[in-house]
Amino acid sequence: MTMTFDTHRVEQPSALASGSESAIVARKLRRTFKGGIEAVRDIDLAVSTGEVFGFLGPNGAGKTTTVRMLCTLLPPTAGTAMVAGLDVVREAAQVRRRIGVALQEIGLDPVQTGRELLELQCGLYGITGRLATTRADELLELVGLTDAAERRTKTYSGGMKRRLDLASALVHAPDVLFLDEPTTGLDPASRLTIWDEVRRINAGGATVFLTTQYMEEADKLCDRVAIIDNGQIVADGTPEQLKAEMGRDVVSVSLDGADPAATEAALGGLPGLERVAAEPGALALYVEDGASSIPEIVRRLDRDRILVGAISVARPSLDDVFLKATGRRLEGQQRSSQELEEVSR
Amino acid sequence: MTEVLLLGRRATREIVRYPEATIPTLFIPLFFLVVNIGQVSKTFPSSTPFLKGQGYVAFQLPVSLMFAVATATSGLALVTEIDLGYFDKLLVAPIRRSSLIFGRLTADLVRGIAASGLVLLVGIALGARVQSGVAGAVLIVLLSALFGVAYAGFGILVALRTRNVQATQSSFLLFFPLLFLTPNFVPFDRLSPLMEALARINPISYVIVGLRSLVIDGWDLGKIGVCLLVTIALGAVLITASLRVIATYDRN
Repeated sequence: MTMTFDTHRVEQPSALASGSESAIVARKLRRTFKGGIEAVRDIDLAVSTGEVFGFLGPNGAGKTTTVRMLCTLLPPTAGTAMVAGLDVVREAAQVRRRIGVALQEIGLDPVQTGRELLELQCGLYGITGRLATTRADELLELVGLTDAAERRTKTYSGGMKRRLDLASALVHAPDVLFLDEPTTGLDPASRLTIWDEVRRINAGGATVFLTTQYMEEADKLCDRVAIIDNGQIVADGTPEQLKAEMGRDVVSVSLDGADPAATEAALGGLPGLERVAAEPGALALYVEDGASSIPEIVRRLDRDRILVGAISVARPSLDDVFLKATGRRLEGQQRSSQELEEVSR
Repeated sequence: MTEVLLLGRRATREIVRYPEATIPTLFIPLFFLVVNIGQVSKTFPSSTPFLKGQGYVAFQLPVSLMFAVATATSGLALVTEIDLGYFDKLLVAPIRRSSLIFGRLTADLVRGIAASGLVLLVGIALGARVQSGVAGAVLIVLLSALFGVAYAGFGILVALRTRNVQATQSSFLLFFPLLFLTPNFVPFDRLSPLMEALARINPISYVIVGLRSLVIDGWDLGKIGVCLLVTIALGAVLITASLRVIATYDRN
């Protein structure tokens, strides 16, 4: 596993890349759009068979463009990519037989019922007649839409549409499943349902390539993640490895109106302090031992008569990994986490 | 072939389930038929030589048939599909891209048969007599529907090229000048010299003349043949252009 925190790409794919067990391998994959817009810049990727691989990044980072290239919907400007052992450009037709795709925009026909849509999808993969009916039944059952099977999809809620879209990607039991932001825009309860289904699909043997902008989604679901920012991969590894390589606890000092510069100055030189990151309304202190740093932090703030709000200690999260790799946090992370906590309770 | 039938069945289902998209396209030709007859039936009584003893409705009927089948329905359905993301889902399926177009055209054929059949029946109810008989009436419906399929290629082409609903919807407006620069109200020789020259180079004229011959003249194989050839040529050009666009869709 390699991990770089500069803003340049990871030059070498991880050791898994060269193995014959790779479900996806991309080398120097690049996509430049008209006007010279470089959406994806020479990225290397390696996803092992059976993995749930998370592709993390903010909006516009290059996640969807990467997925579209891997799904044969968009040709790379440069570089190569193999999916299920097949070249996505030269063997695009064979690749399409081996993959299932649920894109960010839910691809449903509003005029058809859930069952009609699945049976059509079966037909496009060569499954017809009774087999198609049986397969549609199985999938409707799998995603909990049996009761809504005869309703037109335009009447479905966002979560139901997403689940049906997921089911339609599974009609032919694909080897590799691409899910492009499968939970974006869903309420927290629906998000948890999708997570369960992704786990179940993966348990059935499919490799899952999942893009997301939710850190906890990657943390909970993925065996390995890569973080993409501005078209380049800036970190990759297992969630635990990435967090462990942070090597530090994070002490968050809520400023509550205190002067950030003065607070940072007061805490400068704190024993075990690796670095300080300024966040909106808070300072994040990366320290060796969070708990034992607290008395000294309090003492220093008291000494300089700086009044702050709450001080909390946390183990590094993937969000901290992202912050360290890119210099900023992903938007909407806090809200997303809070919502999920509420639902979990 | 299976995939074309599957996609065709889906597109046909769409037409049946969205009658609000089809009814306006039928209202216009029927409206024109009734209004035009009402306005000029005294000017062109059945004794007018080019009507050959029939009412003006027989002369106008082919124009209404063409209005009924020349729609941007398929183009609009396609561009909506692109907007909704379903088109990508179909593109990533292991099927020939051309199936996506031929599936749509299958539905156009079905719709064209239904629409032209209805307009023909209304025309007959208003007094038109099909001189070529029942077989001629069937041929009128089939030729009209075939023209609808050929013309649908234009809407599909605009949809794939622009990926824009408004542009695709507007594409239908291009049909108006083409339909009016024809012998739609009177025969070629009654048009002004300039209009006659324009009408004679407009391929749509020959489709109208062919259909009209089946209503008024009986079996004029020359006119019917030209009508069929023009329709096939038009379809070949427009559908081939659409196939080329879909083959390179997002491939550059």
